[in-house]
Amino acid sequence: MSDAVTLTLAAVPAHPLVADCIAADRFAALAEREIAALPVTHGGRPARLGDFFRVSGGRAATVRIEGDLRLVEGIGTGMAGGELVIEGGVGRDLGVGMAGGRIDVGGDAGENAGGAPPGAARGMTGGEIVIHGSAGPRPGAAARRGLIVIAGSAGPGAGRGMIAGTVVVYGAAGPGAGRFLKRGSIVVLGAVERPATFRYACTYRPPFLPLLFRYLERRYGLATPQGALAGRYARYAGDMAELGKGEILHWVSE
Amino acid sequence: MNINGVLIEDTFAEAFTMRVARLVITARSPKWARAAAEKLTGFATSVIGCKCEAGIERDLAPSETPDGRPGVSVLFLTMDKESLPQQLIVRLGQTVLTCPTTACFDGLPDAPDRLAVGKALRVFGDGFQASKIIGGRRYWRIPVMEGEFLVEEMFGMQKGVGGGNFLILAEDADAALAAAEAAVDAMTGRPGVILPFPGGVVRSGSKVGSRRYKQMIATTNDAFAPTLRALVASQLPAGVNSVLEIVLDGTDAPAIAAAMRAGIRAACRPGVRAISAGNYGGKLGPHHFHLRQIVA
Repeated sequence: MSDAVTLTLAAVPAHPLVADCIAADRFAALAEREIAALPVTHGGRPARLGDFFRVSGGRAATVRIEGDLRLVEGIGTGMAGGELVIEGGVGRDLGVGMAGGRIDVGGDAGENAGGAPPGAARGMTGGEIVIHGSAGPRPGAAARRGLIVIAGSAGPGAGRGMIAGTVVVYGAAGPGAGRFLKRGSIVVLGAVERPATFRYACTYRPPFLPLLFRYLERRYGLATPQGALAGRYARYAGDMAELGKGEILHWVSE
Repeated sequence: MNINGVLIEDTFAEAFTMRVARLVITARSPKWARAAAEKLTGFATSVIGCKCEAGIERDLAPSETPDGRPGVSVLFLTMDKESLPQQLIVRLGQTVLTCPTTACFDGLPDAPDRLAVGKALRVFGDGFQASKIIGGRRYWRIPVMEGEFLVEEMFGMQKGVGGGNFLILAEDADAALAAAEAAVDAMTGRPGVILPFPGGVVRSGSKVGSRRYKQMIATTNDAFAPTLRALVASQLPAGVNSVLEIVLDGTDAPAIAAAMRAGIRAACRPGVRAISAGNYGGKLGPHHFHLRQIVA
């Protein structure tokens, strides 16, 4: 048993590497050798995690991953607890179907972070994903609960079809943010292209946001622009094509 | 034992185990946090008539509150587990929820017993309420005419202590009041303690039951009433013409004892003859605060 498991990318994959076996709660029950033997898919062919990563430590629910992971997909799939710290950027499908725990990404994340696995109706149902860079398309798509925070900008379709939960984008959110949103919140500090099916409600100071921003600063070191912490936000209710109980909160002024 | 010439009687205050919750009320300004807290803790002096005891523990700086706004910490006590959530739900709903700009948070997050106070209040939102989980704690956003009321879903409850007390036996009413005010000043703002009575002071200490009226559960403490000295078995020393009582509730016995120490020392001033305390012979309450041990 060790304090943390460290995965260091030793062989850079030539093709997309699907490593959906990497989840902090799973590693808590596995020894170093067992972790290295976990199955991955490289360019559609089966392989072992140890073929690409040097594994250090075992039986710990805190996992650090080092190296260029832009071609590594599916990290944190279905994770239900523990903590995953990714030093740099990461590929698509980060934390899909995640139910608990924390994923902290130092760089950018690819498409569908916190979203749903192929064919599933629900994305993440709990836990926290914090991306210190930008996110690709559809972060938080179909999420049922949980928190996704993007310090940079988000690609198109942030929170698309979200059932509940929270997506926070410190930068700009691409077109189609919140489309088919049932419940849940999409908080955007930068520019946002809202679907036409969102209706303006009011401009106010949502009291939960200072709580959330202070938590993010304390827990993840994310600094919020001073005026945004307790600032005024325009509330757009939607998606009126769906249940309409969701919202886009767009920062407008101090 | 004497302090500044004031006799500390060889007796003890007898206090009871109660159930306590701590609420953190924040608002846009200290004025509105206080306004909500004062209404919330109004008519909450004694479980005898109010079913609960409550008071402002202390003012909180923005750096001490969950949302970074000015706040007030409130302690709320009842005699049993069941009535604490009932009282909190009714009172929060009528005072804090109604007060502009306020939010309400649990001040005992580590307490094992959890009360679904915010969860009950959420239905005021009539189906438009929404929740947020932040750092593992759930909060309810209740839409109101002003904007939104934010309240934590669960509040902690733990065992507390109610009924810590001491009596200021003075030469006249002015001296008693001055000593009581000094004591309250010395005890106010101490963590874990509230003084639930008006201004922290009680002029009508009571005894259990009645000599004459069967339905009364508490009547005047005739043994310490100066006007009855000639009629009853008075416990007032010669020269004492007025008595005021300080009652303390708190989160634990050490907090009560520390506050009593500060209060008694401050009350020992000119015009005060003795400091005593109220008890029931030690048979009712498990917490005994012996005055001489406390101030030693």
